[in-house]
Amino acid sequence: MIDDHPMIIEGYKNTLLGENQREYQIKIDIASNCDDAYASIVKSSETVPYDMLFVDIKLPPSTDGAITSGEDLAKHAKELLPKSKIIILTMHREDHRIHNILKNINPAGFLIKSDLTSSELLLAFNNIIKGKAYYSATVNDHFRKMMTNKFSLDEKNLKILYHLSRGVKTKNLPNYVSLSLSAIEKRKNQIKEMFSIAKADDQMLLEEARKRGFI
Amino acid sequence: MIINLCKFLSLFFILIFFGCGQSDKVDDKELKSNLIISYIKNSQNNYLPIDERKKNLEKAYNICSTFEDGIYKRNKIHDISTSYYILKDYRSYKKMNMKAMKIASSINDSLGIAKSYRNLGIYYRTSKIDSAYYYFDQAKQIYSKVSGNDYEQGKVLLDMARILQKTKDYSESEALTIRSIEKFELSKNIKFLYLCYTNLGILAKYLERYDEAVDYQLKAIDYAKGTSNEILQTLISYNNIGTIYKSQKNYDKAKEYYHKALSYTDYLSTKPKRHSQLLDNLAYVNFLSNDMANIPDLFYKALNIRDSINDRYGIATNTLHLAEYYRYIDDYKTARMYAEQSRDVSLELHNNEELLQAYQLLSEISDSDKGLVYANTYIALNDSLVKEERLFRDKFARIRYETDEIVEKNEQISKENQILIIAILGLTTLFLLGYIIFRQQQSNKELLFAQTQQESNEEIYRLLLNQQVKLEEGRQLEQKRMSEELHDGVLGRLFGVRLSLDGINQRANDGFTETRNKYIDELKSIEKEIRLISHDLGAETLPSDVAYIDAVENLIKDLCNVHGIEFEFSNDEDIDWEGIDDQKKVNFFRILQESMQNIFKHASAEIIKINFDYVDDTINLTILDDGIGFRTGKVKKGIGLKNIASRVEQMNGVVSFVSDNESGTTVSVSVPLHTKIVELH
Repeated sequence: MIDDHPMIIEGYKNTLLGENQREYQIKIDIASNCDDAYASIVKSSETVPYDMLFVDIKLPPSTDGAITSGEDLAKHAKELLPKSKIIILTMHREDHRIHNILKNINPAGFLIKSDLTSSELLLAFNNIIKGKAYYSATVNDHFRKMMTNKFSLDEKNLKILYHLSRGVKTKNLPNYVSLSLSAIEKRKNQIKEMFSIAKADDQMLLEEARKRGFI
Repeated sequence: MIINLCKFLSLFFILIFFGCGQSDKVDDKELKSNLIISYIKNSQNNYLPIDERKKNLEKAYNICSTFEDGIYKRNKIHDISTSYYILKDYRSYKKMNMKAMKIASSINDSLGIAKSYRNLGIYYRTSKIDSAYYYFDQAKQIYSKVSGNDYEQGKVLLDMARILQKTKDYSESEALTIRSIEKFELSKNIKFLYLCYTNLGILAKYLERYDEAVDYQLKAIDYAKGTSNEILQTLISYNNIGTIYKSQKNYDKAKEYYHKALSYTDYLSTKPKRHSQLLDNLAYVNFLSNDMANIPDLFYKALNIRDSINDRYGIATNTLHLAEYYRYIDDYKTARMYAEQSRDVSLELHNNEELLQAYQLLSEISDSDKGLVYANTYIALNDSLVKEERLFRDKFARIRYETDEIVEKNEQISKENQILIIAILGLTTLFLLGYIIFRQQQSNKELLFAQTQQESNEEIYRLLLNQQVKLEEGRQLEQKRMSEELHDGVLGRLFGVRLSLDGINQRANDGFTETRNKYIDELKSIEKEIRLISHDLGAETLPSDVAYIDAVENLIKDLCNVHGIEFEFSNDEDIDWEGIDDQKKVNFFRILQESMQNIFKHASAEIIKINFDYVDDTINLTILDDGIGFRTGKVKKGIGLKNIASRVEQMNGVVSFVSDNESGTTVSVSVPLHTKIVELH
């Protein structure tokens, strides 16, 4: 279990170790930062690999700066421990992040902390043990939204919409999305065309995006 | 004799004056002046007796004296005086001129004064030539100061020349006569030119330029032609020419001219004085040329005429001539008798020239003792005459000098005045120059001060802006930190607690599960709330470029609060203040400041509306107030408006001031953002 808050790990433990103690023999290693986590993963890959990894996204980065988040960590883990089930637990519920994580890591479990209750955690645990993936309702929602749209927006477009919805001005977007201002303008126009509101302003664009569930 | 006669006559007139002065009271001015004219005309009627004529003048003056002092009255009095002169009432003539002078002085009529002076000169020219000379000189001074009086000046100059001729100051007299001729020619009035030339002829004779003298006399005759005095002047000139030839001892020529003159028999029959003079002169020339055919009969003929009309001057000359004749024929006794008669008459008349000759003759024809006495008397008289002439010349010179001195003094004074004026002007210009320079420096200083103040203002603003930006940055950083803290720290821990509680709740079955679940849900909702707060905090709700608009709004707010005016402010979100260069921002800031100062100072507005709009890459700033406004055309552009205009110009923008007396003032500034266009594409 990788999380920088001991209280959360405590919560996981409390949940898992209650009822499940009887069915499973659960051994838990904990890490509160990327360095420790990586070391443990490397170690387990050499000895007994972990069956399951609880990964938080927001983590103190590694001292060498190579691993900055749980996302990076998960990528390494997938390489080092290909058979391990990775469960992402995060506070972030923004569409583009969900989208990103699903795309990059394709975790066995994807739980949004704010939705999470202990029973859900248990449910997820049991499902994943049995080889079934488990996603939080929010993540499923995201899937549903993605499916209902005839088209899909790529990560960058989603990011643009997301930041716009936060009130960032177009001209400041390059600071948030690694694109030039003109590229961003082009993408915005593409999105508007896709929404068939070609001449709409940003306000209308955001409204439409919200309606369609991109934000 | 004449003086006595005058005295008598004037006394007589004064009596008449009192006798009938009050009876003529005529109010109508025109009637009065008509009366005056007719009285004067009557006085010149030769057929009326002298007393009657004088009476007319008296009446004329009485009417005239009822007029108010003025040029008209003065003119009329002069006319009356001239008439008195014609009537030979010299005393009244003088009296009238004195009156005219008084009136002229009281009304500052300088020409009237000059005329009176000249007339007084004429009055004195037979009796007191120095006084006469003085008055003529005074008249001349006045005339020379007033232009357009060439004729009058010519007359006065001629008068003076004739006086000088009498005192034997020939060259000076000649000079004055020539000046007089010049003046007459300038005035185009040649009435007196024959007199001028006559005088020149006489002068030339005395100066022994005989040919010239004859020419002048002939010229005088020419000028007299066609005038009323033609015959008289011709006679006089012929007589003069005869005398000139006599002086040249050209007796034949002299005789010729005397005969020429005597051929005017008809005219001479009315002029016994001239006639006798010509006869006497002719006789004398005959005698001198030894042509004794009708001598001494011709002398006696002349003397008889002179005796009959009591021509005393003539008698003096005539008897002298006879004395000479008798000496020539060695009849000393008769010669002495005539010489003594001539002497007596000359003494009476103060005719010194004849007297001198009489004494000379007597000294020659008397016996040695008496002859010596006469010789001595002659010498004494001659000396005294020379002395007198010198005295007169000195006196005239003095009069001239005095006037010269006055002129010089005037010149001096005017020179001094000129210097004074120049000095004052110089000082004034110097002072003005100094003042202007001082003002220039002052205004330069003011400008410099204003400039530095503006610079410091801008610096202050820039610092303010920087501070605002820093503040904003700090705030955002802090917000971000708080957001992250809430999101990752607090929220995480809450989540942990909730999960733990939930986990425990699953296991423990003590009947409180429901209640705990409720609290767990509560925790969940707290989490949600914190997440929202964190989201809000983390979001860029206040973009960094808000700082400029904040500064602007603060400015407006502060100023409006100070002046107690309400305001509405709106800023178009589309304006990219961060992308606009500082210079433009500073300019907008200053324009706002300036406009608002104007509103506070002049508009007495209650509300100000300020608007930043963004249309077609142009920022439109509108500042609107509901004050009294101003007349756009009437108000001269003050420094405030000029500043605004120059700032807008600097940004390639357009500014308009629209004002209505009723609905306040609108200042509209449009500034294109070329720089932004470049950035965008």
